[in-house]
Amino acid sequence: MTPRIQKRCMILLSTFLSLFLMGNAAAEEWSAILEKAKGQTVYFNGWGGSDVINDYVRWAADITQERYQVTVKHVKINDIGGVVSRILAEKTAGKKSEGSVDLMWINGENFNTMKKNGLLAPAYAQLLPHHTLVDFENKPSTLFDFTVPVDNMEVPWGMAQLVFIYDTEVVPLPPTDMNALLAFAKKNPGRVTYPVPPNFHGTTFLKQALLELAVDKEPLYKPVSESVFAKVTAPLWAFLDELHPVAWRKGRSFPSNSSDMKQLLSDGEIFISLSFNPAEASNAIKTAELPPSVRTYVHSSGTIGNTHFLGIPFNASAKEGALVFANFLLSPEAQARKGNPTIWGDPTVLAISKLSPEDQALFAAVPKGVATLSPEELGTVLLEPHASWVEALEKEWQKRYSR
Amino acid sequence: MQVLGHNALRFFPYLTLLAFFAPVVVGLFGTWIPALGYLPAIGSKEFSGRIFSGLWLHPSFPKAVWVSLISGVAATCLSFGLSLFITIQLYGSRFWNGLERTISPLLAIPHAAFTIGFIFLISPSGWLIRLVSPGLTGFTFPPDLITNGDPYGISLTITMAIKETPFLLLMIMGGLNQLQTKNIIWVGRSFGYGTFGIWTKLIVPQLYPLIRLPLLTVLAYSLSVVDLAILVGPSAPPTLGVLIDQWFNDPDLNMRLSGAAGASVLFTITLLAIFVVLLLELFVRKTTTGFLINGKRNYLVDRMQWSARMLSGLLWLTTLLSLLILVIWSFTHVWRFPSAWPTDFSERFWQKTIPLLSEPMLVSLSGGCLSTLIAVILVLGCFEYEVYRGRTSSYSVGRTSRWLIYTPLLVPQIGFMFGVQIVFTLMDIQGSWLGLIWVHLIFVLPYVFLTLAQPYRNYDQRYMDVAISLSQSRLISYFRIKLIMLSKPILFSMAIGFSVSIAQYVSTLYIGAGRFATITTETVSLASGSDRRIIAVYGLCQFLLPFMIYSLAIVIPALLFRNRRGMQN
Repeated sequence: MTPRIQKRCMILLSTFLSLFLMGNAAAEEWSAILEKAKGQTVYFNGWGGSDVINDYVRWAADITQERYQVTVKHVKINDIGGVVSRILAEKTAGKKSEGSVDLMWINGENFNTMKKNGLLAPAYAQLLPHHTLVDFENKPSTLFDFTVPVDNMEVPWGMAQLVFIYDTEVVPLPPTDMNALLAFAKKNPGRVTYPVPPNFHGTTFLKQALLELAVDKEPLYKPVSESVFAKVTAPLWAFLDELHPVAWRKGRSFPSNSSDMKQLLSDGEIFISLSFNPAEASNAIKTAELPPSVRTYVHSSGTIGNTHFLGIPFNASAKEGALVFANFLLSPEAQARKGNPTIWGDPTVLAISKLSPEDQALFAAVPKGVATLSPEELGTVLLEPHASWVEALEKEWQKRYSR
Repeated sequence: MQVLGHNALRFFPYLTLLAFFAPVVVGLFGTWIPALGYLPAIGSKEFSGRIFSGLWLHPSFPKAVWVSLISGVAATCLSFGLSLFITIQLYGSRFWNGLERTISPLLAIPHAAFTIGFIFLISPSGWLIRLVSPGLTGFTFPPDLITNGDPYGISLTITMAIKETPFLLLMIMGGLNQLQTKNIIWVGRSFGYGTFGIWTKLIVPQLYPLIRLPLLTVLAYSLSVVDLAILVGPSAPPTLGVLIDQWFNDPDLNMRLSGAAGASVLFTITLLAIFVVLLLELFVRKTTTGFLINGKRNYLVDRMQWSARMLSGLLWLTTLLSLLILVIWSFTHVWRFPSAWPTDFSERFWQKTIPLLSEPMLVSLSGGCLSTLIAVILVLGCFEYEVYRGRTSSYSVGRTSRWLIYTPLLVPQIGFMFGVQIVFTLMDIQGSWLGLIWVHLIFVLPYVFLTLAQPYRNYDQRYMDVAISLSQSRLISYFRIKLIMLSKPILFSMAIGFSVSIAQYVSTLYIGAGRFATITTETVSLASGSDRRIIAVYGLCQFLLPFMIYSLAIVIPALLFRNRRGMQN
């Protein structure tokens, strides 16, 4: 057998195996979906700012075409909010089917909004054969997206945890909590900053600081109320008031997003950048975007982690095709490749223990990347505060620093 | 004389109006209605003014309005002043001829690509500082200076002014061709007037009406620009355009209402600004009559030719350097501060990108060609109808309808795009070629109209009379004589229209519903990721298409008229 046929057989086998495990009814439903999906074109709307991610999506699209006869078009956008707008416009215009989006890369607030406004298809994630492999037990953010129950209305795709990136040749000993970061900034004026809220990463920085600095963290996991907001967030504003005068551009200008931060780090303008992808630094070393001496670190009390998902809008034209593509993206094969820092380096949502030995081997073969921390080093994953805090924090930040 | 096809010509003005005016009006309503609180899709069904009053409570809003207004007005004044100054000082010189010949490739450089290059030129970790570091400056790390993204919008103003000056210069060049400028200058000289006197007293008063609309276009554009403002504008708070963009993208759908209201405010501000310019114009006209006839002949400014040379040279140089930076970055593997040049080169980004780009390039090319072709046919039809009517009655595309034609340029794009999107979805042409071409046409048409109007109206109709009497056919005469004689301005207006189509981002993405990946949608989405090396490759490819078309617009007439001395001005 040629390796290609061998691979085909393996896939067939594993498909049969999972179909068997799923039980007959579900298996029949899935094969009906596979049949219906043939020939469909899936418009996958997702952030297109990263060359390596675009390459990965293209790889996945090619395989999906070859194996399932589903064509996938990656619609590269710079802000998923615009796509939500478009789906909203379609709903406004009464377009209940044949919408322009079949699958989208989404999480957090956008998910919350789409779910609340009926812009997502009714629960579908459970239909995917690979959905059972997700590590729901140890990765709570796969079930609660920014504390909002997922209810199978989106499919977990990758894990994220906030890490900081620094150059070991510039910064010998990185600060490991917010107060140390402030001290670092005072010692190195103009070299610390964060993306401007309401940018996603900028707001995350605020949340991270709040989680570290707040005396009482309880209220952060409940809907925000005006009475507690002032009290809980007071240390955060005191911290920022001290940070801004010694921040990059003295806090009068901010990078627009985390990619901007990466560029500034590469240019030597700032000393510390941040990312939601623990392997991004390793990947950036490989592509020479960052010098080989960069490493990552996390704060000692842990950093915010979450999950990013794939969502199908209520009026998707190629729902079956979208399910097929999503299922492939969730396959051990695709997830292992995604986790490879020389490809992309996005951590898997799957539970390795639930995989077959062959699939486990796929993950074992994935190199760790020189700048990637081990799961132990990544430490505690802090859960996102309740989604309502985001808006409150952004508003208050703008009131104080953006007027 | 039997006028062939004038019956058909009658429809052109209506068709043209329908093509771009209808969507804009409908789009505006589609934006105003949600601004008044009505957007049933998110459960908001009550008309009220609360969204508008709420805007002023948003902490960033008042400052954002100010920054937009100041940077927009300042950039317009700056580019207008600069282009006039350069014209006055250099017109007729060899230097001027050089500018005339090199201006179009400059216009072909996409705004975003230019800006990315420009930022890298001037930023504290940019090329200029790298060239002298650490040798002269001692910097091993870039200094913490605010050169771009300053809170006052100065860098934004300068960037816009640099990018808009060539456009205004081009419009001035077009206007001057119509005015028999050389004759005016001879007459002025013979009365002993110095250059400044001739220009301010004799030429500019005649020139201004010809470039009023382009000037207002620049004003409207500078007030509402988003992509440039994200790159070089202030960040906290950003300009109004960026703020509105953020609201339209906010995860909280209720912010769409604020976005719609903000867009309506921006629309009002733009109208007000235009109104103020018109008032100012009236004021200047009233107060300068004395100056115009005071008979003073010589002014000190006459001795400033060198500064105009320097300024225009600097302008050209900055633009070319920004382009050169993109070329260098596109071949870069590693280039860190403070190295003056990349330390490691690689052509891998070109290698992997070229095969990927054939599809987006083709889509861009088809969209650009189709929309430009339709635009130019409609515009020619309108003008020809005007010529016909002008002979039978005193008709011209009336003053009002002429203003209507320019609405898409004077109304901020974010002010009506949301509405257009809803309407196109209702008509079920979202994501179709029809929808895409139509939405491009909204912007392409006015530019084609704008650039073609003067040469076309200036055409000496007697050539046609002679041709018709010889050929006995209006159609043949039109295609064999008039069109050919006008081929230069026609091709040029097409080149401008084409590059406008290529540059469309928001409209392509939202009306195209993601069905059309163009070179611009690919570039802009990558630009949000900030890897200069890959952005440079895409930015250069984005430059390539309009550059090719501009070159064709120069080469074709040159070939066509190689044996026609009278056509080679």
